[in-house]
Amino acid sequence: MEGKRSKVTTAQEAVQRLIHDGDELVIGNYTVGTCADLVCEVIRQGRRDLTLYSQSGIFDAEILTAAGCLSRMVSTYVMRSGGKTGGSSVERALQDGSLELEDYSNFNYNARMVAGMHGFSFMQVLEGVRETDLFTKRTFMGDDKYRIITCPYTGKEILTVPAANPDVCIVHVQRADKHGNAQYWGALGSVAAAALASKKIIVSCEEIVDESIVRASPHFTIIPAYRVDAVVESPWGAHPCEVLGYYNQDKLFYGLIMAAMKKCEDMEKWLDEWVYGCPSRQAYLDHYAKVFHISRLQALKAKPLPSAPASYGAAFHSAWDENDRDRYLGKTPEELELLLEQREKLYG
Amino acid sequence: MAKPFTLNEMLIIAAAREINDGENIILGVGLPMTAGALAKALHAPNATLMLESGIVDFEPLVPLNHIADAHAMRGYSYNTDLFSIFTALYRGFVDVCFLGVGQVDRYGNLNTTTIGDYYKPDLRLPGSGGAADFISYSKRTVLTMRSGEFKEKLDYLTSPGHLRGGNSRNESGYFPKDSGPCALITTQGIFHFDEETKEMFLARIHPGVEVEEIQAKVPWEMKVAEDLKVTERPSDEEIAFVRRFAPNQTMSRALGIELGIEHAVAQIKKMRAEN
Repeated sequence: MEGKRSKVTTAQEAVQRLIHDGDELVIGNYTVGTCADLVCEVIRQGRRDLTLYSQSGIFDAEILTAAGCLSRMVSTYVMRSGGKTGGSSVERALQDGSLELEDYSNFNYNARMVAGMHGFSFMQVLEGVRETDLFTKRTFMGDDKYRIITCPYTGKEILTVPAANPDVCIVHVQRADKHGNAQYWGALGSVAAAALASKKIIVSCEEIVDESIVRASPHFTIIPAYRVDAVVESPWGAHPCEVLGYYNQDKLFYGLIMAAMKKCEDMEKWLDEWVYGCPSRQAYLDHYAKVFHISRLQALKAKPLPSAPASYGAAFHSAWDENDRDRYLGKTPEELELLLEQREKLYG
Repeated sequence: MAKPFTLNEMLIIAAAREINDGENIILGVGLPMTAGALAKALHAPNATLMLESGIVDFEPLVPLNHIADAHAMRGYSYNTDLFSIFTALYRGFVDVCFLGVGQVDRYGNLNTTTIGDYYKPDLRLPGSGGAADFISYSKRTVLTMRSGEFKEKLDYLTSPGHLRGGNSRNESGYFPKDSGPCALITTQGIFHFDEETKEMFLARIHPGVEVEEIQAKVPWEMKVAEDLKVTERPSDEEIAFVRRFAPNQTMSRALGIELGIEHAVAQIKKMRAEN
């Protein structure tokens, strides 16, 4: 029943209602289409002591760290801009001890989500990491980062990771209907696993579309309505990241964030201007237009390249043929009723 | 007389030559993608290019910003997820992968996680991403190094190369037989790994470079092939492809950023003037 009511709301309301201090939060997007609007809202609402799961943390993991929202992170890749001179919010937080980070390889991190998504308690993973410090160096997960068991079928030692079931997933997609059926296409990464492993899901999308569009192309739906708690319409909601079919990455703006990350005070200034100073995505876009000019944004818009339609048709759409006869029995409804009566099959 | 080339171009072109026609290749960001595009355009038209984000058999149009870049998504033939890419790798369906080097030791083990103490890092690098898994299960791994460094002992072992040398990788039992790094390509030369000891040795030197210049960057006494060869010069066709496909990769990163900022500032000024 959860699936059949409108869950459309604002980023502000969704974060207020569904994300709490101390939660395990997973960013569903993998490298592309990052849910920037929702991340900014988490920061504005001042969430604290979150554990962030991040397959590939780019500016999202950086700004959440800079804003002091996180105390723990589970990740495989944290983008940083410092080069040999160093400098990133995550680096500073690791150095001053305010952030603990558990490092995995891409597959081994994702396997935790896949296990959680299917309700398993662990997943077998690729054992090559046993020869690395990913295996030997552990932080807050301790013995539970990896465990080794004996395969009951082959007798071989196998490496496992525990399932992850984060409290809430925030994720940005191309389009969704008001019930929460979320449609996403392009690089699938670990987006579905991150969302479906989670207990609650907030979806933001470039546009809310009619239910009929979803029903005509169900193969694009990666998160079903019955799992979704809130839907937020947020055009340009992933900016400065790109959304396939909608817009490209904003390389200049992205570069400016990367530059700001290097120094604590520059990052704070950036947050003041672009997160705390812009109470909504619309305010952010207005500010962008003021600073850089709106035509810079327009120039990033994708040129259309629709996928080839696939026919979902079947030979017929009803049990009754054009003469209103059952295709299998050859009877009209009236003939059928009469027959049932004659054979004494009707009661009451 | 052949065209002059930059050291970055030499590195990309040498990497592309490691790809054979018909092979399945996992590409990472940066120069490996250009190498893949070059190979596919010039000598390996039937290579299948794969990205760990789930994009398989794509035809690169422009250099990609990252492994899920929208520009990889025109005309690809199989769309899957990260989990399935890695399980395909695990099952042995990937021939070559490319990894960039942060720190590398003499046996081709890599560190892309931490400089200094892991728990209180001097510098925090990006981490493993897919690297630890790629080098574990790809049949061959080609390492590329632009600004990385050779280290006697790594601060953190992110991605397993030939481990402790000799037969240690095979003996661990965790990896396909005879997998691991097969070459390390730098802007100055190409290293291969000794069949017995698995220690890297300089096998080729790029035109115009001296052995001493390379040794100066290697903190141990570097082994050099008895029949050290000079890397075959990039052909005009190879250079033309790289410059056309990825003009910003032909130069140093710093120069690329400088020119990019200059251009963006000029564009913004122009837009403001027009209004």
